Amino acid sequence: MLSALIWIPFIAALVIALLPQQREKQARTVAGVAAGLALALSIVVLAQFDISLAGFQFQETLSWIDNIGLSYNIGIDGISLPLVMLTTLLIVLVIYATGHDIERPRLYYAMIMMIAGGVTGVFLARDLLLFFLFYEVELIPLYLLIAIWGGKNRAYASTKFLIYTAVSGVLLLASILGIVGLSGSGSFTVDASIAQALSSAQQITLLLGLVVAFGIKIPMVPLHTWLPDAHTEASTPVSMLLAGILLKLGTYGLLRFGLGLLPDAWDVIAPGLAVVAVISTLYGSLNAIVQQDMKKLVAYSSIGHMGYIILGMAAATELSIIGTVAQMVSHGVISALLFLLVGFIYSRTGTRDMNVLRGFLNPERGFPLVGSLMILGVMASSGLPGMVGFVAEFCIFRGSFITFPLQTLLCIVGTGLTSVYFLLMVNRVFFGRLPEQFSNIPRVSFREQVPAAVLASLLVMFGLQPHWLLEWTEASAHAMAMLQVKALAEVQQPDESVAMVDNEAIASTVLTAPSIEAVN
Amino acid sequence: MDVANLASQLNVGVILPEGIVILTLLTVLIVDIIRGRAANAITPYIAIGGLSASLAALCLQWNIANPVSFLGSFNGDPLSVVFRAIVVLSAAFTILMSIRYVERSGTSLGEFITILLTATLGGMFLCGASELVMIFVALETLSISSYLLTGYMKRDSRSNEAALKYLLIGASSSALFLYGVSLLYGLSGGETQLGAIAANLTAGGQSLGLIMALVFVIAGVAFKISAVPFHQWTPDVYEGSPTPVVAFLSVGSKTAGFALAVRLLVVVFPLLADEWHFVFTVLAMLSMILGNMVALAQTSMKRLLAYSSIGQAGFVMIGLIAGTEVGYASMIFYLLVYLFMNLGGFACVILFSLRTGTDQISEYSGLYHKDPLITLCLSLCLLSLGGIPPLAGFFGKIYLFWAGWQAGLYPLVLVGLVTSVISIYYYIRVVKMMVVREPQEMSDAVKNYPKVSWDAPGLKPLQVGLVISVVATTLVGVASNPVFTLAIDSVENSPALSASLAKAKEKSAIAVLPKDSPSLEVTKVASAKL
Repeated sequence: MLSALIWIPFIAALVIALLPQQREKQARTVAGVAAGLALALSIVVLAQFDISLAGFQFQETLSWIDNIGLSYNIGIDGISLPLVMLTTLLIVLVIYATGHDIERPRLYYAMIMMIAGGVTGVFLARDLLLFFLFYEVELIPLYLLIAIWGGKNRAYASTKFLIYTAVSGVLLLASILGIVGLSGSGSFTVDASIAQALSSAQQITLLLGLVVAFGIKIPMVPLHTWLPDAHTEASTPVSMLLAGILLKLGTYGLLRFGLGLLPDAWDVIAPGLAVVAVISTLYGSLNAIVQQDMKKLVAYSSIGHMGYIILGMAAATELSIIGTVAQMVSHGVISALLFLLVGFIYSRTGTRDMNVLRGFLNPERGFPLVGSLMILGVMASSGLPGMVGFVAEFCIFRGSFITFPLQTLLCIVGTGLTSVYFLLMVNRVFFGRLPEQFSNIPRVSFREQVPAAVLASLLVMFGLQPHWLLEWTEASAHAMAMLQVKALAEVQQPDESVAMVDNEAIASTVLTAPSIEAVN
Repeated sequence: MDVANLASQLNVGVILPEGIVILTLLTVLIVDIIRGRAANAITPYIAIGGLSASLAALCLQWNIANPVSFLGSFNGDPLSVVFRAIVVLSAAFTILMSIRYVERSGTSLGEFITILLTATLGGMFLCGASELVMIFVALETLSISSYLLTGYMKRDSRSNEAALKYLLIGASSSALFLYGVSLLYGLSGGETQLGAIAANLTAGGQSLGLIMALVFVIAGVAFKISAVPFHQWTPDVYEGSPTPVVAFLSVGSKTAGFALAVRLLVVVFPLLADEWHFVFTVLAMLSMILGNMVALAQTSMKRLLAYSSIGQAGFVMIGLIAGTEVGYASMIFYLLVYLFMNLGGFACVILFSLRTGTDQISEYSGLYHKDPLITLCLSLCLLSLGGIPPLAGFFGKIYLFWAGWQAGLYPLVLVGLVTSVISIYYYIRVVKMMVVREPQEMSDAVKNYPKVSWDAPGLKPLQVGLVISVVATTLVGVASNPVFTLAIDSVENSPALSASLAKAKEKSAIAVLPKDSPSLEVTKVASAKL
């Protein structure tokens, strides 16, 4: 069943690419049907998912290339499930949000479907090399999506994206070869015991490779410069895709393979990561404050919000891991919504300059509904209670505070800054008098706003009923946090018999963090 | 020595595939003489039929009981079968794509095919040769035919220039190689068979003469596989030669070169294994770095492919240096994959130059709007060369890098990884030129692009060759398990390599030991505690 989730989009891509020239308008239909099918299937998976199990479910294993130990091994657990759901949902919305009059529809929809299949594959892969394969598959389609359907400066932005991502891919491959090669294991299948054969210096080196590789994708602060360019030049649906799903490949990979495979080394570099998280948050937020371009502002806010995810992973307590996954989903929903709304304004007015745009909340000639949704999205993004952003950020901060108090406090300052730059934006663009030049702009039809409405309702729903978002992850997060606790215990207490007792003790102190119900 | 004994010593059956190629060659020549220009309609198909028959004969010779023939000067072991098959395949594809090209240039197709088949013959003998004289004769057969092919467009001054350059540099490299080989002959006390030389050299131990012999032999081999710094001829020759010839040189001739490297270096120089491994590591690094860096700045498609082929040779050398079963097997696998993707790429370049008359990269601008098929095929082949999954090139590279990593060649693999990122950039540049450009940004050549039609004589075979190589490029990687197992079999069943494989195993066992011992201690400590 999981295989179908991966292969439906790929098959759809092939079908679309083979459509004859005269029927190229049907590309959209084919893509829509395939994406809808994948969404329906993922809902079936969701319904059958057993939340009490920590391990992988719906596993499928096929031997593929035995000579190098690559196997087709997929499965889903509490960490990948929410991300798969996010992917299948956003792909449908992205296709819906794409204009009917797009140029070269066959190429466009084929590329979107390839990304859909590749990203789903990344989230489901249980084999390191298979993961890498899917991770690299989305490189060329996304490059083309930015380079062909992008803005004025798209050649520069797409090439920059390509170089950064290709470097990330090579570092990732080197680390994967390193992990498996040095441990002497003959297979690339994800196996938690793989790290035991590695010395701690090796582990740290390999983990640093992974951190840089995924750090480019996330992006972490010194490696982030491709993101604002790529976002500014990409078209609205591609921006939704990029911010909503593709950034999560980095955070997911780091969580799954950094923390999951090398917990001992993770323990060593976690303080450093927490500092990087603070820098990302503050740098992203402060940069967002001075932006004049709405899209760039949202892009920098993404960098800031990725900081929280890094913080939550660095702390690696059960609650912070739950929060990390929730923040991935929450950021996916919120940033997709914000990019979509910015796209409406840009397509109608031809500008995203906040010095020019004014008064779009005007009920008669402006975009009152777009404006209201924007305010909603902005509130969620800055973490107001009752919205999904609050739930995720609260879990992360509450979970990380025990381990990294100072860093957590500094990141909380970041949420304050989020309100600052978003209020500045909303204040400038939506309040005030609508200038004369915008008084006759075309309306945004109700049909176009459907994706925005779906995203907005999700964001409120999860805000009011966080359990629907968090319960999936609890078992898996618990298992992953225990891994970390065990690693800690081994470092402190090499004697095994004592360590066993200690494990429980440490685990219970970690678990006394308020459980999720307290949030409601 | 009675006749029966002689016959069994000669064991002529082993060179049946080569025999078929010789027969084909003669038939083509005779048909061409008898029927004149009208023969153009059938000679290429005779040649392709002959090559297919030769390929079939090669398949039948897989793992034959007694592979040694002609008193030990030719070895038909599975390793040589695989290499010969790659050479034959590359010749067949080259003929498929050359028909239209040669006819358009107004030269005789029959002669072209004859020379090409002679080159193939030389390449095939080189893959199995295990005796010094045989090696040199085969090498010269391949080289001299290649010089002729390079200068085949005799009215084109650039083709002349390429042929002259190739001839001069090639002749001097042959001379160097011959000198190295003659040293071997002397040092081993007058032996010419590789196995006997190796045995006699071991008795003598290391000496200055042996090192000089190694240096000269490496120079000769490196010239054939165009490894940096023996590559200077490559870009000029590739740019000036007829494009189908370049396709053959970059795949067929190189494959023969690698076969020679495996046989000569591995069998004869076990004494100096560390030394030649070191030299090849340097050559491979230089090739990967220089080939891929210089390719970034190229404006002509043929020069780009020339530098890319230098870089690709660097990747293949990783397998040779690894020296393990998996290493040799991944080298063979990569050569096979390289055959399909590179020839597919060249088929597209030939098609484009047939339709527009240019090879400039900038002239490809906007091709997607006029000819989506070529755009798709060329993009797939280039992306595969760049190692983008799930195409065959990616799997080929993974095999090579993984083999290198397991053999402990970390710096080499890291250089390979970094340079393959660089290579992605310049391959993508071409793809971007074709796909991303808007209709209004089309180049003049593409604006005047003729209506796509496959009806002209000689285009159908080109199309067949193109489609086969593109399909193989897409699928061989994903379904690589059987192919790779075959490559491993060929290495395992070749006695010539067994000595060096055993040595490599010993080495890796020593490398693994210290890693194992701490874990042993840990278990001991743990059990003591219990």
